[in-house]
Amino acid sequence: MDPLEALVAQIQGLSSSSADIARLHTILKQSDDSLRSNSSRLSPIFSLIDPSIHSLGFLYVLDAFTSTSVSNQQQAEELVPIITRFISGCSVEQIRLAPEKFIYVCKRLKDQVMLLEAPIRGVAPMFTALRKLQVSTEHLTPLHADFLLLCLLAKSYKTGLSILDDDVFEVDHPRDLYLYCYYGGMICIGQKRFQKALDLLHNVVTAPMTMMNAIVIEAYKKYVLVSLIRHGLFSTSLPKYCSPLAQRNLKPFCQNPYIEMAHTYSTGKVADLEAFVNANADKFESDNNLGLAKQVVSSMYKRNIQRLTQTYLTLSLEDIANTVHLNSAKEAEMHVLQMIQDGEIYATINQKDGMVRFLEDPEQYKTCEMIEHIDSSIHRIMALSKKLTATDEQIACDHLYLSKVGRERQRYDFDDYDVPQKFNI
Amino acid sequence: MDLSAVTAALESKSYEKIADICDNLMLQVAADGAAFHNDWPYAIHLLSHFYVHDINSARFLWKTIPSSIKESNPEVNAVWKIGQQLWLRNYGGVHEAIRGFEWSQGLQDFVAAFSELYTKEVFQLLVSAYSTITVEDVALFLGMSEEDASSYVLQQGWTVDYASRMLTVKKQPVVTEQKLDPRKLQQLTEYVFHLEH
Amino acid sequence: MDGDDDISGQMIDEIYANGGEETDQRSRRAIMSGDQLDIEAYAALYSGRTKIMRLLFIANSSKNPTVQLDALRMAYDEIKKGENTQLFREVVQKIDGRLGPNYDMDLSWCEVVERKAEQKKERLENELNAYRDCFISFQTNLIKESIRMGYNDFGDFYYSHGQLGDAFKSYVRTRDYCTTSKHIIHMCLSTILVSIEMGQFSHVSSYVSKAEQGTDPLDPITISKLRCAAGLANLETKKYKLAARKFLETGPELGSHYNEVIAAQDVATYGGLCALATFDRAELKSKVIDNSNFRNFLELVPEVRELINDFYSSHYASCLEYLGNLKANLLLDIHLHDHVETLYDQIRHKALIQYTHPFVSVDLNMMANAFKTTVVGLEKELEALITDNQIQARIDSHNKILYARHADQRNATFQRVLETGREFDRDVRSMLLRSNLIKHDYNIRASRKL
Repeated sequence: MDPLEALVAQIQGLSSSSADIARLHTILKQSDDSLRSNSSRLSPIFSLIDPSIHSLGFLYVLDAFTSTSVSNQQQAEELVPIITRFISGCSVEQIRLAPEKFIYVCKRLKDQVMLLEAPIRGVAPMFTALRKLQVSTEHLTPLHADFLLLCLLAKSYKTGLSILDDDVFEVDHPRDLYLYCYYGGMICIGQKRFQKALDLLHNVVTAPMTMMNAIVIEAYKKYVLVSLIRHGLFSTSLPKYCSPLAQRNLKPFCQNPYIEMAHTYSTGKVADLEAFVNANADKFESDNNLGLAKQVVSSMYKRNIQRLTQTYLTLSLEDIANTVHLNSAKEAEMHVLQMIQDGEIYATINQKDGMVRFLEDPEQYKTCEMIEHIDSSIHRIMALSKKLTATDEQIACDHLYLSKVGRERQRYDFDDYDVPQKFNI
Repeated sequence: MDLSAVTAALESKSYEKIADICDNLMLQVAADGAAFHNDWPYAIHLLSHFYVHDINSARFLWKTIPSSIKESNPEVNAVWKIGQQLWLRNYGGVHEAIRGFEWSQGLQDFVAAFSELYTKEVFQLLVSAYSTITVEDVALFLGMSEEDASSYVLQQGWTVDYASRMLTVKKQPVVTEQKLDPRKLQQLTEYVFHLEH
Repeated sequence: MDGDDDISGQMIDEIYANGGEETDQRSRRAIMSGDQLDIEAYAALYSGRTKIMRLLFIANSSKNPTVQLDALRMAYDEIKKGENTQLFREVVQKIDGRLGPNYDMDLSWCEVVERKAEQKKERLENELNAYRDCFISFQTNLIKESIRMGYNDFGDFYYSHGQLGDAFKSYVRTRDYCTTSKHIIHMCLSTILVSIEMGQFSHVSSYVSKAEQGTDPLDPITISKLRCAAGLANLETKKYKLAARKFLETGPELGSHYNEVIAAQDVATYGGLCALATFDRAELKSKVIDNSNFRNFLELVPEVRELINDFYSSHYASCLEYLGNLKANLLLDIHLHDHVETLYDQIRHKALIQYTHPFVSVDLNMMANAFKTTVVGLEKELEALITDNQIQARIDSHNKILYARHADQRNATFQRVLETGREFDRDVRSMLLRSNLIKHDYNIRASRKL
């Protein structure tokens, strides 16, 4: 009997109980090399076994099958439906027995759909795959970044947002986190969720690292621009928990035009900023940041108008136009109107007198809705601080950690991880 | 390709659900490997994003539409024209774009519903953003003739000065729920407990 | 500094007297008429090198040719009384024949002075060398004192010939041969003088503190001199509040004793303006207006006294008018000129802030009137101050009224709490992530070692 046929028979036979599966796993591990050497003969097997019942066997065969390089679109066209079918059908318990193989197969899917120039074909399967792989939503799988990349390429930004709301803590590999945060940042930028983008990019820039890498540099560039859009300023000093490598190198790497853009922004002159962006358009373009740089410019109009609301109770549209360098009172009116629509300022326009009356934020923190919001924030923070305590205890008991710090220190202090004192909850 | 979910939502006038339905369906169809581009209801899909104010997603969708479709399907282009005006916040332009095309049977109701929603929202914006505004501008914002626009806002309690053709906006009182649930007290106790332990 | 004719010595004598009504009226008139600086009276307040340098500064800064030539002529006369031929040549070049044959190049004078200088230097060198040789064999205090005096003479010599760097070095060298605290003080005062002329104000500060560190009590005149020097050093380094304190601590004993550096009038002007720019109302009252010591100085420059009183009693228009009238002359002052704009801005800002402080609402037309400006200009000034959070108010530009703004504590607290919560949320999450990464990295390295 052909060993391959025998293996298929075993896959078919050993799928009913967990003991069977364990036995099958041993057999599969032993057969891995022979599967790989026979990879050209494997394709008929996929019609003989069921991805949902024989998931583990299917995975091993698929892994061996995809390990040969696929370089033409025809082969890819053949492979993609097999992997897609497998991902949607496979059993969670079985694939988690061989997570590396599962990850490998999924990454092959990503390669194939990109080869086919149809990234959208991979979005839904990759989402299913990462949900099946992850033990909890706190777990960042190596597939997260690939999923986000496919979302970006397929321009399904909204779909990408869905996993960015999960709080991830468990990370398998630093690179997974870098890419997850970087791509995630880009998705949030696309959806104009600048605060969220800033948080994600912040994680990349401040992550512990022992070697400079391109992801961090690119993230830092976007971090500068998004900071300007969101907060109207950029502080070049990084937090002290940031790696010394980042502290030393990021600024010089991005001096021109990014750090200089922040300097130009701080003068508050729209014309200067616009001239700066135009003069450096090539550099922004080559970094794929020109669109973002232009958004920085338009954010300055808004910021200058917002500043007026802090100063004036009423101001003529004419004066607003002059102060923030808009061409006409009508243009100023349209800017103010947009900002009211977006909830960025509180004001009423009086066309009769050509005036704007700026109002205080009407929020009185009395509504049920607001109380709900505050309530949920408190819950969240309580949960987080519990988690913090748990992590602290866990580290304090970790024998690797203890052997490192030795016996002179009884207990691990929060201070070392720079928890601000004011958060002494 | 099974578009029955989209059709059902259109029929039940659950327009706000269509964007999600379309998004998910598109990913599913794509994952199945079907060549869906030529038959995909792009016009509805674009409009569904407008309906839930997600111009960003509409823009990204527009970018993925194959150029052959952009060239051959005038209705998709017409919908996108609305999107461009929305993107530019050219309030009058949106109404013009809506009026400027003979919408097909399948889209008519959806466009009309969007138009109605948009008009209502712009009116709310005018209420919150203006204290006085010219009849001319209101007509532009609401996409109506000056007469229609005046009578529309006068019904809402606005007043008009005919000599200067200036309308005075009537603000609507904001009603918000402020009643507190006794359960909250229980929670407050829990917080204090948490703080002390 | 003001327009009085008889400001010179007589004025300085008046330092202990209260300025009577009469002087008050006169100087006030002079200022109101916006008189030009009376250079002669001004120059008479000073002696030595500073007199020449101040005149030259006026000649360089003034746009008025008559003033320029007057200043140059007086500088020419003054230089000829001394031995600085280098400076003489420069002045002659600047005059460029415009003052007639009497103010031309005088080569024979230069030659005589320079020959004498050469001889004197030789003599000083011989003497000093002799004493130094002696000192190697007999280390007595007597010889030590002679060396100190030798270096000191060298300092004086270089100073009078305009070689400030060498003068400074010579004075500093006397330090090793000082035997009494008096010597130390002398050394400090000499180096301070040279340093001021060189514009090296960090030296000034350090030698002032050296002099003040001495154990023996200092005489009141010396104390006053040191206060003035410290005041100048702080002024030049833009530490206006410290400068104000030093000038305000200067005792009336100063009189004209330090006129190679500063006149009593300057103490009043520098101190008064710095105090106005940097002190709060309480300080202004206790440290300036009720300061009987300083009042003596203020009497010498009544317009400064008046403008301080106007400021304190909220007569801003009058105060600003005085300041406006003084400005042209202050810009001709060798030490103050660079700081006039900054000090004036600060004083104006403080006036604006103080004006708005007690009100719930302020009519901008009235306020503009009080500050001698237009409503539009005032709006811009207020805008800057509100943006800077120096005034808590908002402008109703439509009705031209400024309304005080009272922050709603409750709302602000809610806002801050939510913001803090958000920050905590973000910080803790990214911290947990980082700690996991570190742990991961560490575990990998540990497993590699195994």
